[in-house]
Amino acid sequence: MGRTPTAFVAIALVALIGLTGGAPRAGTLAVDLTPAPGNPASPRMGDQLSFHSVIRNNGPAAADGLIAWLSLVRIDRGHEQPVDLEDWSAHKAVTAVALPSGGTIETDWPMRLIQDGIYRVIVSVISRDGTALTPSPPVDFSVRPKPVVESRRVLPVAFGLPLVLGGVLLWRHRGA
Amino acid sequence: MSPATLITRKEAGDLLLSVRGLAWLLAVAAVLSAFGLLLVSNTELSLLDNAQVVYDMVAIVTALGSLLALVIGIDTVGGERERGSLVPLLLTPVARDGILAGKLGGIAIAWAVMYALALPYLWAVGSTGQNLAMGMLTLGLLGTPVVLGFGFFGMALGAGLSSTRPALLAGLIALMLSASPLVLGPSLRQAAIGRAFDAVNPFSAAVNAYDAVIIDSQAVLAQASHLAVALGWFALMLWLARASFRRLAR
Repeated sequence: MGRTPTAFVAIALVALIGLTGGAPRAGTLAVDLTPAPGNPASPRMGDQLSFHSVIRNNGPAAADGLIAWLSLVRIDRGHEQPVDLEDWSAHKAVTAVALPSGGTIETDWPMRLIQDGIYRVIVSVISRDGTALTPSPPVDFSVRPKPVVESRRVLPVAFGLPLVLGGVLLWRHRGA
Repeated sequence: MSPATLITRKEAGDLLLSVRGLAWLLAVAAVLSAFGLLLVSNTELSLLDNAQVVYDMVAIVTALGSLLALVIGIDTVGGERERGSLVPLLLTPVARDGILAGKLGGIAIAWAVMYALALPYLWAVGSTGQNLAMGMLTLGLLGTPVVLGFGFFGMALGAGLSSTRPALLAGLIALMLSASPLVLGPSLRQAAIGRAFDAVNPFSAAVNAYDAVIIDSQAVLAQASHLAVALGWFALMLWLARASFRRLAR
């Protein structure tokens, strides 16, 4: 009853530090993440971006059961939230049975920009026998807005077609 | 000019140039305009919503087209019988299949006009989004057999039932049931009964294909199973309309 939310956060942090710090293979995996060279300099909604990751096993033994996945968060003020990749990318994770010592896994992560905003992308990797989560350095990018439903296209059609049909109807009605 | 072509021209002229037919088209345009104006007023749409908009509009066009075809199908047989013009038509020296083909042609032309009417609306709301052209193509490929199937179903009802009122009622109930995937959420459709209904329902086949092509960017060619359901519905209803019309002619 006496525990405050701060106490819970402190316990969780201690547990997290213990989990990561006590892992036997912590630090043996490294992930690098860079934007693809062909990415547009100032992307807007609808553009495609790609990120290139390199996962390296720096440990003395092979890492088994590797899972790497992409995370995307929106970070502009007032809109901070994780993004559901369902709509952004069909390529959300890679797996490998084993990565030998000194070996690397290179992956391209294509992405379609669905909504404007400022975003941060991270690739995380974990192995079956290691309990540490290894994140890549974050990569930030901005997406410029793009008009989705343009009123200058919709209004002429939405008003024009009923007007034309109404005019023909009136003309036929008078003729009849 | 063949008798079937003459009947098609007359039917299409009645549907599209008469005051009643033009009022139908005006009502369709008003529905699509209202939907378009609703979207313009929404400033929070993301690019995904744009694809959703095209999907919604394509589904609405299919539903309106099916309703139009159903009513025309019922009226073209049952309505003519009540107006007393069916018997003189059957007494003309034209093969029954020729008369039927002419009436089917009238429904097909009405759908073609409605499809053409929908294209500017789809362009207006979807030109800045994804898969617009493929969405239009899928509407033509999947929507056409579904809509025409409802037209044939209407003809079968008009021929089989003694009055247009029960035929209209039965047809509208069947259409509402078939179009229920438009309003039912995906979770309801994931149940065993929902999946079984989806597997045989032509309307489900069409909207699932629209969803796959427009929102999920799948290839149109990958929708062969959905197309098979729609074509099966088309063939079944054509057979039913033909059988009902022949019984009527005897």
